[in-house]
This record gives sequence, C-alpha cells and structure tokens, in this order.
Amino acid sequence: MVIATEIPILDEQSITETLRTKNIEIDLFITAIKEKVGYDLSGYARASIKRRIEQLVIDENVTCIAELIPKLLYSKECQANYINRLTVNVSELFRHPNSFLSLRKSVLPYLESFPRRDIWIAGCATGEEAYSMAILLEEVGLLNNTQIHATDINTEVLKQAKTGILTKGLNKDDAARYQASGGTSSLSNYFSTAYNKHKLSQHLLDHISFSHHNILQDKVFCSAQLVMCRNVMIYFDLNTQNSALALFHNSLVQNGYLVIGEKESLINSPLINLLKTIDEPAKIYQRKSSANV
Amino acid sequence: MSDFRVFIGGSAGSIAPIKTILSSLPTDFNLIITLIIHSSGDNNTSMIEAIASCCTLTVIEISDKEIVKPNTIYLAPGGYHLYVENINSYSLSVDKKEHYCRPAIDLLFTSAAETFGKHCIAILLSGANEDGTEGLLNVKRHGGLTIVQSPELSQVSIMPKIAIERGAATKVLSPKEISHLLLEYND
Ligand SMILES: C[S@@+](CC[C@H](N)C(=O)[O-])C[C@H]1O[C@@H](n2cnc3c(N)ncnc32)[C@H](O)[C@@H]1O
Repeated sequence: MVIATEIPILDEQSITETLRTKNIEIDLFITAIKEKVGYDLSGYARASIKRRIEQLVIDENVTCIAELIPKLLYSKECQANYINRLTVNVSELFRHPNSFLSLRKSVLPYLESFPRRDIWIAGCATGEEAYSMAILLEEVGLLNNTQIHATDINTEVLKQAKTGILTKGLNKDDAARYQASGGTSSLSNYFSTAYNKHKLSQHLLDHISFSHHNILQDKVFCSAQLVMCRNVMIYFDLNTQNSALALFHNSLVQNGYLVIGEKESLINSPLINLLKTIDEPAKIYQRKSSANV
Repeated sequence: MSDFRVFIGGSAGSIAPIKTILSSLPTDFNLIITLIIHSSGDNNTSMIEAIASCCTLTVIEISDKEIVKPNTIYLAPGGYHLYVENINSYSLSVDKKEHYCRPAIDLLFTSAAETFGKHCIAILLSGANEDGTEGLLNVKRHGGLTIVQSPELSQVSIMPKIAIERGAATKVLSPKEISHLLLEYND
C-alpha cells in the first residue's frame, strides 16, 4: 500500500501570484514572437496556447516561460521552429465523414455548374483533408478543372503535405471513415505503396497546391466556390474567430459554401446573418447572394 | 448562478454513478456541472440521452467557445480535449491524446483549477486509467475540493485507487454521498 503523499495546498495569495506571473510570462513571450518573428498569437484561445507554451518549456528543458524569450530573440533556429511547435497539426483522412457525405450530396452538384472551380482549405496541416477532397472530387468526376488551394501557417507540415505521403499508414479506421463519407471505391486505390509508405496518386496531388498563409494576418488567399476550415478556429478566441470568418466570407463567391469543424459554431458570430445553413450537423453554410442579405 | 463549479470525470463504469449523482439534483440546481467521460466513439448522442433521461437539468454537448448558461449540465464532446477558457466559456483542441484519451480529464481539471481556484469542485469516478489524478492534484493545490468515488463502490476501481494513493482526494465518497454534498452547495 502506497502511503498518500501530502500535497501542499498553496495559500490563496501565492496561487494568485503564481498565476499572475505566468500570465505575464505568456504575454511577454507572445509579444516577443510578434515583434521578432511577426506572428501575432494574441488572438489565440488562452487555455490551449498556454498549454502549448508550457509543453515548449518542458521540451526545451528550461525552468519557466520567460527563459524561452532569450532563445527566441537570439537564435534563428528557435525563431523558425517555435511557431511550428506552437500549432496543433493533428489531422486524418476523411475526418468527420458526415461533412464529406453531405458535401458529396448537397454541395458538389452545385460546383458542377462552374466551368472551373477553386477550393480553399485553410489550416490544412499535413494535408489529409486536401487529399480527401481530391479523392471525393475524383469520384464524382469533378477533379478536372478544380484547383484545391491548401494553406497553413506551419512550414513544416506544408513540406510534409506537399510530398503526398501519409504521416501514418492507412488503417481500418481510415477505410471506415472513407466508406462513411460515401466513398464508392477502395481507399487504398488512391495511394501507391513503397517502403511501407502510402503516397497519394500523382494525378490527384497535381490538383492540390500547398502554400503558406496566415489566416489572421494575410489577405484572402483566393476567390473560391468552397472554403473549408475545420478544427483551426477552435484555437482562436471569439473575436479572432469572427475575423477569420469574415476573411472566409470575403473569399467566397456569391452562393459559395463554407465548411467549419464539427464542434465549431457560428452562434456567436455576426456572420450568421450572411450565411444560410445548408446542413447544421455537417457544419455546411452558404454565402447568401448580396440581394438576399 | 453559484461561484462554485463542478467538474466530473469518469471512464469505464462511470455512467451509473453519474446517473445516481445527477438524478437527485433539482431543476434549480445552480452550480454549472461539466462532465467529461472517456468513450471510444466520437458520437455522444446516446450518452447524452441516457444522462438527460435521468435528470431534470438540461444536458448539452459542448461546442467550441460555448457560453455557459445556468441550470445546465455540459458534456465534453468525443475526440477533442476540453479546457475551461475563462469563467464563462470553454475551448476545444485536437492536441495529442493524454493517457490514450481525448478528451483527457487531467487537462480539463487543470484548466478548471487555474480558472476557479477554491471554487472548483472536481470529482473523479470509476475507470481503468490513470487520467484525472494529476488534474485533481492541481485542483487541490489551487485550493479546490477534490472528491473520489470510493474504490469499493466503483465498477472499475483503478482510476479512483490511483488518485487516492497519490494523495489527490480530499474526500472519498459514494455516489449518493456525492450528491448530498453537491446539494449542500446549492443555495
Ligand atoms: C488541428 S489542425 C486541423 C487540420 C485539418 N483542418 C483537420 O481538421 O483535420 C490545425 C491547423 O491550423 C493551423 N493554423 C493555426 N493557426 C493558423 C493561422 N493563423 N493561419 C493558418 N493556419 C493556422 C495549424 O498550423 C494546424 O496545422
């Protein structure tokens, strides 16, 4: 039987003091990044950015957030890689199959009416979403004359995404999500395998461009019939989410579509009035034409 | 709305004690409750129905930046980590799993501890995982109240046992006792 260790309960004053100090450190670190590297993280949701910064403290083997600041200021290497390590890049093929299924049924038939199509995937991480979109378009015969513009702030993941190689192998869960997304073939048909790595077929990859773009500081990336931005805005605070949504809205052609993450919501956004709900559980919305606003 | 907030974390075998705890709370129970339960799938629909059917409070699955309303029970969505963003809202993340879990109880409890301090009541129930203990320790350090379901009364006692062994429990109680205690906070 292990004897319970006594947990020191901090008195209220030292707790407030510790939390206050940590908050100052976070603000200073964020300011340093902004001034030195040019990325403004001040609009990121506090709880998750804090955790990422604390993880950086552990990985860098320093004792507090403040100690990251000199590294950031004086090391070129740290400048390049801190920003990459502060973003969360987890993705997977056909994530939220319900959205893909609904896109297939409700949105793609509309895209068909355009002679050429542009799709913007903002916050593409390692590319799985863009790959899934290319597969979906191929299956409904719309891949020709479609360009998928996939963008992210993280230069490392973009490098990976461009190769077309999956970071993880293909597994049963991927296949199940593909089926649930309405897939009509076999997922492995779209990948070539060598040395245990799966690479998206070149003719699909040719329709995707991967570029660096910062949703919070850069302009509209392109004019698009469909904008997809999922599980990116969860990392922003409410105001910042609203600026991001305004950017996506501006990018959309009239009657163009917006897809957001499964657990994201437009309820607190003024944009809700400028968009029509196509499928709420699938999080698909349509830009109203100006006549209807 | 009370200043106190209740956070309940559970894993295998936690639905039954959750139902027991929640079923005795009145419609005007004025502490916001946040539930976080490990589950295999990403779809919580049936769990929400099961929980809602046994209590009089509204049960909602959390969306990102959801703003809390009184007399409501909030449930962490599957597949996302959940944090307390500030005193009236949550945020989500798909950061890597902790203890093979997403959502992880540790992350929610820790952010709750830092936000609510002595007004945080964290409850850890049945489960076969070590998730939750670190979170409870943080709640305790910040002056909050930590309650662990008695291992003898837990369907799977590993999670409560680890928490107790590591000194994370202020009180070790049965589900019935937990609900009595919560009622005392409802003024
Ligand atoms: C969790 S991933 C989402 C990947 C994919 N959309 C999905 O749902 O599977 C979030 C991505 O957003 C990117 N991101 C974060 N802030 C960004 C910003 N300001 N501009 C562009 N991309 C950003 C991150 O680098 C990361 O790759």
